[in-house]
Amino acid sequence: MQIVTRKVEDKPLTVTIEYPEYTESVKGLIKKIKGLDISFSAFAEDGQLRIALADVFYIENVDRKVFLYTEKDVYRLNASMAEIEKIAKDSDLVRISRICIMNTSHLSGIRQLKNSHLEAMLDNGEKLIVSRKYLHDIKRRF
Amino acid sequence: MSGVRKILKDTCILAALMIFAVFTLSIIWSGITAEIELVLILFGLALIITVVNYLFDEFLTLSIIASYIIKYFVFTGIVMLFGFIAGWFYPSNFWMAFIYVGIVFVLAYAIDAFKVHKDIKYINEHIGKKEIQEEKV
Repeated sequence: MQIVTRKVEDKPLTVTIEYPEYTESVKGLIKKIKGLDISFSAFAEDGQLRIALADVFYIENVDRKVFLYTEKDVYRLNASMAEIEKIAKDSDLVRISRICIMNTSHLSGIRQLKNSHLEAMLDNGEKLIVSRKYLHDIKRRF
Repeated sequence: MSGVRKILKDTCILAALMIFAVFTLSIIWSGITAEIELVLILFGLALIITVVNYLFDEFLTLSIIASYIIKYFVFTGIVMLFGFIAGWFYPSNFWMAFIYVGIVFVLAYAIDAFKVHKDIKYINEHIGKKEIQEEKV
């Protein structure tokens, strides 16, 4: 893979991808680049900040309040789950239950528990319950 | 395998189109006969069951077994109610609903369990491949 960069003034940042064949790697690369443009305006105790999509592990709706979880921290979001899904359409974010949206780029595995519930394991060791209804949506992200 | 699946899928779609065409012409020519009425009732029953199933999956997070047991009794109740209204069942043979629904449920459970197992395997394999690729980079 060759990386060519050049400075072009008076134009927005533009990424051009040239490929001999549209493969899964190309698809993944495009998705990653698109994801760089997505960020969320989140609230912490000490004020407001922007969190990039790549840093989001999962987003959860608890008692009609939406929380964003990064590797170690939790933030409050002023958006509905439907709005988040709309913003992050075609990204690595995917709904895994009625109350949770997960970033599949931090997914380390899925397993079926003895009680036949499904559990998603994240890179930071957190575990989330996956509704079977959304398993196919997760599959489509890979 | 995907070839067989495509043939089965196309067969079902073609059969549905043929049934639709034949029934539409029959309704135009001879009105709603007993057979057509039965198909329309089955269509209505399938629609109600699908909506209830959707609501179950959307609002309840149960294990696969618990979910199937609860759905079994709820759907059997719906089929019984429909059966009494449509005249399929009489007080003496209403228990037949448990058998009809039971057969459908055993098949649905087997297909669902197989699909879940396959999907989990697919996802985990792809995560593994992605990790290897990232290590190489």
